[in-house]
Amino acid sequence: MSDMRDLMVELAEKILKENCTKELIDQAEDGTWQQKLWDLLEEAGIFTIGIPEENGGTGGDYADGFHILRLIGKYAVPLPVSETLIVNWLLHDSGFQTETVPTTLSIKNDEHIHIYEKENGFHVSGTLTDVPWGRYAKKLLTLAKIGNETHLVLLPLENVQIEKMNNLAGEPMDTIKIDQLVAQLQLKVVDEAALIERAQQILALSKAVMISGAMEIILDMTVQYTREREQFGRPIHRQQAVQQYLAILAGETAASLTITNKAIETFQQNNDVYELASAKVKTNEAAGKVAELAHQVHGAIGVTHEHRLHQLTRRLWSWREEVGNENDWAEKLAIKFLNSEDATLWEFLTRTNSKKSSGVKVKD
Amino acid sequence: MYNFDLPVVEFTEEQNNFRQEVRAFLQKEKDKGTYETRCDSWLNGFNPEFSRKLGEKGWIGITWPKKYGGAERSAIDRYIVIEELLAAGAPVAGHWIADRQSGPLLLRFGTEEQKNFYLPKIAKGECYFAIGMSEPNSGSDLASVSTRAEKTDGGWILNGSKTWTSGAHHAHYMIVLCRTRPKDPNNRHAGLSQLIVDLSAPGVSIRPIKYLTGAAHFNEVFFENVFVPDENLVGQEGNGWKQNMAELAYERSGPERILSTFPLLEELIQELKKEKDLPRLTESMKLVAELNSLRQMSVGVAQYLEEGKDVAITAALIKDMGTKFEKYVAELTRLLVNRKPSLDSKNRIEKYLAQSILHAPGFTLRGGTTEILRGIVAKGMVAQ
Repeated sequence: MSDMRDLMVELAEKILKENCTKELIDQAEDGTWQQKLWDLLEEAGIFTIGIPEENGGTGGDYADGFHILRLIGKYAVPLPVSETLIVNWLLHDSGFQTETVPTTLSIKNDEHIHIYEKENGFHVSGTLTDVPWGRYAKKLLTLAKIGNETHLVLLPLENVQIEKMNNLAGEPMDTIKIDQLVAQLQLKVVDEAALIERAQQILALSKAVMISGAMEIILDMTVQYTREREQFGRPIHRQQAVQQYLAILAGETAASLTITNKAIETFQQNNDVYELASAKVKTNEAAGKVAELAHQVHGAIGVTHEHRLHQLTRRLWSWREEVGNENDWAEKLAIKFLNSEDATLWEFLTRTNSKKSSGVKVKD
Repeated sequence: MYNFDLPVVEFTEEQNNFRQEVRAFLQKEKDKGTYETRCDSWLNGFNPEFSRKLGEKGWIGITWPKKYGGAERSAIDRYIVIEELLAAGAPVAGHWIADRQSGPLLLRFGTEEQKNFYLPKIAKGECYFAIGMSEPNSGSDLASVSTRAEKTDGGWILNGSKTWTSGAHHAHYMIVLCRTRPKDPNNRHAGLSQLIVDLSAPGVSIRPIKYLTGAAHFNEVFFENVFVPDENLVGQEGNGWKQNMAELAYERSGPERILSTFPLLEELIQELKKEKDLPRLTESMKLVAELNSLRQMSVGVAQYLEEGKDVAITAALIKDMGTKFEKYVAELTRLLVNRKPSLDSKNRIEKYLAQSILHAPGFTLRGGTTEILRGIVAKGMVAQ
């Protein structure tokens, strides 16, 4: 663990507890950009954690960044925090300058934009779907084809057409149409497959971490509610049926936190997809159970817009689909197993044959 | 709020080498024909020769002080040994309970004489203990036990009975939770004590109870005016409930609550791998992700034990989830391979499937039912 983690987590939690209120999240969902909260997070250096100070970052490591993202999930922060942080990590990997403006990314197998170089600059065209926070982002990191080569490019999001879409939690998931945008761009040739794999891994882990953060507070709220709510003349936590639900909630939450914490530490060391895929499968699966039981315990009050619970459960239902569902990541595990040198599942599980640094690194 | 952030354990190179050493030993013994892999081997695989061999290796009582026959290794090393034993389906039932809970209980609450007498024998793999908790009329409501010990000159006279006692027919001793004072309606947990009972003593009779497979691995044990000398009292008279709860934490926290059906999962994966059946392998990898999560939790608990932390609530939580997982392995396997389970089959999947299905009902009963465990977890959280 890096020394600064406790300090950063404490600072971020203080900011979020004071500022990221139920009302603020409601306003954001109603279409108001939360600049004040953004500025507070920027001042705290949240968007460049994991990037060395000499490169203009906050310092610390990726694991620190993921632990901050757990808080972003816990407080349902309605801003592109994970996106901006991850873009910065990818920019830094490629030797680019980091950003502090709201930034998003679209790095996927099936979508590219095309760029043609002309006298007055680069001409960019293409359509990108499911771009998180697209309408608010000032810049977008994506892959562009120039001839046969794939380039990593940070595009200014000006003069683009945005089709507004939302996930279940009301977080923007926009379609961006770019038609002959002319811009001066910094481009970098990349190994496309490697970059996509790395981006998908970081994104998947960020979602798993955010899911487990949301579960943590859902469990807390639910236990608290069972203390306060009385029926049949006593608090409902005294009822055995309710106790059973609380224990299942605790188990799913603890399992999700544990496997994501493990995946964070492993990722920091060697990018091994094994823990990370386990984390995304487990948290996705747990998300559904936790949301269901939290609502069951909260009763009718929890399904009202007035209550805070839905701001978290709708995120769980959204995030479990984002960057791959259980089937997608279980398949990655299966392929990894088939391609591994492990003769048995037990060897695979205990990582006794795994080599350090088996992960993909982006080449300069 | 209750903190469920368990420590993240990264095995060191030394620990990984140790794991390989244990694994190689198990492979060698299996090749020699010392044992056959089976599901639920920690309750059903009895093999005194094998237990002695583990004792010779120093792998029983591995964390205990050397002066009591232990190896003074870490709780993580112990975790590695027992995990490898379970994954291999090795016959460890003989010494399992003594190693897991009776020894640690004596280490914590026992007298110097008790430690010197019992622990070295346990560590050699030659002394087995049975659990003396459940009674015919006391299952989940353990505080209602009515086996009682009355004070006499130089000891206690024990009367009553225990039931569902796994391995009592092989065990040398039992730690009996009994009343040493009459029931106090205002404090149900008061007046209980733990006594070490020599199962060969006059007045002890053991009657096998056939499990639903027809095999007899658990028993009813009767005590009729059994004399138990004073020096066999564990800890303090009247402190039995608290000590028993500590014992249960050892009983519940280990990987045997996750891995009872692992041999079946391994066979399933092997078959799907052979067939390069990606869709079914993908289905089964969801189980692997669950198992990975549970393993990390269980290793985290081992780390807590190493640090001397209280694991009662976390152990209850992991046992609940782990035993559900053990059952689910069989349920998913039957749908993925479409085979008929049979204990007599030469096909390993069919045999392990049969063992898993028939032993499954016990998984969520033994060591505390799911419902009791969940009550412990919920009450623990609410009380924070």
